[in-house]
Amino acid sequence: MADMIQILVLGLALGGVYALMGSGLSLVFGVMRIVNLAHPSLVMAGAYIAYWAFRLGGVDPMVTLPVALVILAATGVLLYKLVFEREARSAKYSEMTVLLTFALAMVVEGALGTAFTNTQRVTSPDYATDAFFIGSVFIPKGQLYSGIVSLTIISALALFLKFSAFGNAIRATTQNRDAAELLGVNVNLVGLVSFAIGIGLAGAAGALVSFVFSFFPAKHWEWIAILMSLVVLGGMGSILGTVLAAFILSIVAAYVGFFFGATWSTLTFFVALFVVLLVRPQGLFGEKPELA
Amino acid sequence: MPNIDTDDILEQRRAYNEMLAQAADKTRAVWFPMAIMAVLLALPALQFVGNYNYLIHLVLFTASYVVMASGWNVLGGFTGYISLGHNVFFAVGGYFAGMAFARLDISTIILAPVAGLVAGALGYLIGLITLRVRGPSFIISSLALVMIFRIFFENWEFVGGAAGVALKANSLPVEWAKLPYYYAFIVMAAFAVWASYRIKHSKFGLGLRAISKDEIKSESAGIDTRFYKVMAFAISAFFVGMAGAVWGEYLTYIRPNIFLIILVSVNMVLMCILGGKGTIAGPVIGAVLIVAFNEFFVATLGASEINILATGLIMMLCLMFFPLGIVGTLARHRKLPRILNWD
Repeated sequence: MADMIQILVLGLALGGVYALMGSGLSLVFGVMRIVNLAHPSLVMAGAYIAYWAFRLGGVDPMVTLPVALVILAATGVLLYKLVFEREARSAKYSEMTVLLTFALAMVVEGALGTAFTNTQRVTSPDYATDAFFIGSVFIPKGQLYSGIVSLTIISALALFLKFSAFGNAIRATTQNRDAAELLGVNVNLVGLVSFAIGIGLAGAAGALVSFVFSFFPAKHWEWIAILMSLVVLGGMGSILGTVLAAFILSIVAAYVGFFFGATWSTLTFFVALFVVLLVRPQGLFGEKPELA
Repeated sequence: MPNIDTDDILEQRRAYNEMLAQAADKTRAVWFPMAIMAVLLALPALQFVGNYNYLIHLVLFTASYVVMASGWNVLGGFTGYISLGHNVFFAVGGYFAGMAFARLDISTIILAPVAGLVAGALGYLIGLITLRVRGPSFIISSLALVMIFRIFFENWEFVGGAAGVALKANSLPVEWAKLPYYYAFIVMAAFAVWASYRIKHSKFGLGLRAISKDEIKSESAGIDTRFYKVMAFAISAFFVGMAGAVWGEYLTYIRPNIFLIILVSVNMVLMCILGGKGTIAGPVIGAVLIVAFNEFFVATLGASEINILATGLIMMLCLMFFPLGIVGTLARHRKLPRILNWD
């Protein structure tokens, strides 16, 4: 019984980081209809920023987090202007952008691999290897802190979307781009800002990832499928759904890992992705995807 | 209103189409692919005058990608369903033939068509499931497929897990050792190009091209879209599986990280996009160019990481500025040289 609770706690603790990674992806899909396969590679870029700040200056990843967020958001603006803005009128937009982000993922992976080699890295602030104990159940501090930070960021994002005028514009564009444009929303600006926020969240998630997982550039392929499973299960474009899916799947993965061995734990995400796509493509909270 | 004799109209249209087809045939430079074939078949004679093993390896490597890219093109080019997970069938073909070679000592070259059929059958089953979704969802599901197969192959002890299985090299002297595989790949490549030409110009191929233009309209025009799509998936898997079968014996080992790395499936996609999706010559031109690029980057820059960076960059630029590919763009501007018009 204690084991079962322990695994639940570990699963919950990991869910937070996944939720932050997934919510940026979900925001970008919701507004721009871009399935951003490059998202995990940009998370990796954020992780490297945190790693080198820690390694060279001893800066805590939590302190680097806003910096990574800003740097990646700026990258997002650049990418949007250079690559994605001009694709907006493309006939096969959704397929085109998937292929483009896929190629972008390779570019980022290659660049990171060239600059930092494919060695496994991890930042190790004191709390990363420490834990709280409640009775016999231990809660790793690193994962707990990262979960708290990511839920705080996601809540801030949710409040911004719900109560600010610009947030309303973003939500309106998510629901119906053409109608929003008719009502005077500058959809291009909304696209730019939400793309920047989405990529910025990847940077923030990267800073958290840097002490929760060990990472190397080529690892993002595994994360692509993991993050896609969260976004697809949550319903493409629904941030709440993504967060819920992140917790559900990471808990299930923790139990699968406990009963069948660690190798099979990641398989949970891939199988879930497969099954959800085929049984309920709209996920938990998404709308039925239009037939493009 | 005069009574229109529909039989007559159909007859006239058929005659007119026939005339167009013949006119197209006259402009087609069939001698060009034939000449390439003749040169390639005679190429190993160079071994009598010096050591050209590297050249032979390059041609073989290119031919293997011509097989795979032409296969991928049936699904990705004609039908318009982009799969980023076709290396799964490369692995299945490679493992099937490789294990038969290791355990039963049957040459993979003889087994290649069987391995292709196994991959094709698996492709049929997977297609039944994944072709229920389209667009981005299909692309994502194909990526998930690679991840799932990778975990299975890495943990399946019978096929050696992550370490794989070593296969014995053939006993030919070193200057002739590559030749059986060389000829196998050349023949397969020629077959793949010929078959994709036949498919494109059949009723089946016409149906596939209709699906890529507008699936709902094709369905209402009476095309059994589900069957067509799944068959296209199976056919493309067949070619990729066949290439995988011989590739394992050529490398003398089978291992998950030879077959199930993302670069293999990206190369197939990229070759078709660069050369021209849905054209016959496109995958061939793409394969030649990408293999040349790869060799150039590895030879001059040395690192495989830069290779990944360059591949990604080429793909992005190609998608942004030449979405129709080399053959497609030239054809649109009516500047396609006759020798490259294989359609």
